[in-house]
Amino acid sequence: MMRSLWTAKTGMDAMQFNIDVVSHNLANVNTNGYKRERAIFEDLMYQNLRQAGGATSQQTSLPSGLYVGTGTQIVATVRNHSVGNLQKTDGPLDLAINGDGFFQIALPNGTTAYTRDGAFQVNSQGTIVTSSGYELSPAIQVPQGTTSITFAKDGTVSAIVNNNAAAPIQVGNIQTATFINPPGLESIGGNLYLETSASGAPTVGTPGTNGLGAINQGYTETSNVNATEELINMIQAQRAFELNSKAVTTTDQMLAKLSQM
Amino acid sequence: MDRLIYVAMSGAKNSETRQATIANNLANVTTPGFRAELASARAVAALGGPGMGTRAYVVQQTAAADLSPGIFQQTGRDLDVAIRGNGWLTVQTSSGEAYTRNGSFAIDSSGLLKTHSGEIVQGESGPLTIPENNRATIAPDGTVTAIDMANPTQTVEVGRLKLVNPPDAQMEKGLDGLFRQRNGETAQADPEVRLASGGVEGSNVNSVEQLVNMISTQRHFDMQIKLLTTAEQNSRSASSLLSLNS
Repeated sequence: MMRSLWTAKTGMDAMQFNIDVVSHNLANVNTNGYKRERAIFEDLMYQNLRQAGGATSQQTSLPSGLYVGTGTQIVATVRNHSVGNLQKTDGPLDLAINGDGFFQIALPNGTTAYTRDGAFQVNSQGTIVTSSGYELSPAIQVPQGTTSITFAKDGTVSAIVNNNAAAPIQVGNIQTATFINPPGLESIGGNLYLETSASGAPTVGTPGTNGLGAINQGYTETSNVNATEELINMIQAQRAFELNSKAVTTTDQMLAKLSQM
Repeated sequence: MDRLIYVAMSGAKNSETRQATIANNLANVTTPGFRAELASARAVAALGGPGMGTRAYVVQQTAAADLSPGIFQQTGRDLDVAIRGNGWLTVQTSSGEAYTRNGSFAIDSSGLLKTHSGEIVQGESGPLTIPENNRATIAPDGTVTAIDMANPTQTVEVGRLKLVNPPDAQMEKGLDGLFRQRNGETAQADPEVRLASGGVEGSNVNSVEQLVNMISTQRHFDMQIKLLTTAEQNSRSASSLLSLNS
């Protein structure tokens, strides 16, 4: 069958995937701590139909060969881990990391997940948890009768109990983690990431030191999706899809002519 | 049988190959650093001795890749670079050095600078490794600097990307889509090549041109089919003339 049909199909496939990536970004334009993704394309292998330099006689050789490419594919989706806007919410348990680092979250199965979404809450036992109810790690317990809670830039958490402003109680320390290759983290949804062999092991430290971003109370980090850029990407993908579907139609018409002969 | 059908068939077969090349260019209209393939045709005299010089078969060939630059697309990533003007980035493959215009890099878990398809990026003195907890930036001359996140005043020069600029006529696209020198030698680093960081170079496929080429190839194919039909009609008329019943 004609090669161009399949080549154009790879183009349509890739563009459809690209639209998937773009629409996922647009869908998460309001998700706290969401990092936008971008699809990376690569051309597929080439077929060598006629070798350049092949002999055409004892004295002469072909000046140029015939190589036919077989299309395109998506090789990777790369997450851009740049910091999103820090939006003031005044929520006492809304935390944003200004700079590098991830909050560590204890999953129910015992593994640690990482997130940039700092919209925390307190559960019925007084433990600080994410919106999905997973505990912050190391766990921080808010004492009974707490009237105000303060998160310092370095992650120190202190609470004022029973309006006793003179004696704040230190209830714990938040530690954040960095990775040598954050785009290598695995996304598992729920704003959470898991460590992989590509991301490397986490380096855990005190916020605000060793290149880790400081913690800001009363802020959440918004998504870093740029809607304009995504729309342009969407138009580009749509047009590229159309071009490839045009190639399919043209090839189909050629085949039709052939079969009507 | 009239040999016209073989000549027409060679034309139709080669428009099919040309169509495949155009479809490949269109499929790669968004591939960073992609270079469009140029298709050309060559006449080969049909064997038949004197008196048959009016007939020639066509042979399709891929003359070279179009090496004109694509547009710069901003991505905002530290590890995306595009080459300004002429020049190539160097990557390591299992068959030695190869050259590409696709400057979208990634760091693996050991800090090694790689392309997204996993080839190691070649520096002037070997591969480049970014130390842990460092942020890499690439200067316009290809110098890769690692800035310690813990102490931003602390910078380490990791090395310099191997940027080369052999003559365009020397460059040939391989079956993996990467470029190599025709003579098989590795190119010398050229200190004059300049980069722009924070973006990648788009594909240089001109979609309008490719679409027009595709339509003209389609029409060309149709004409060859028409010739085949005409040859069949001629042959039918001839056989009816010779028929005893008529």
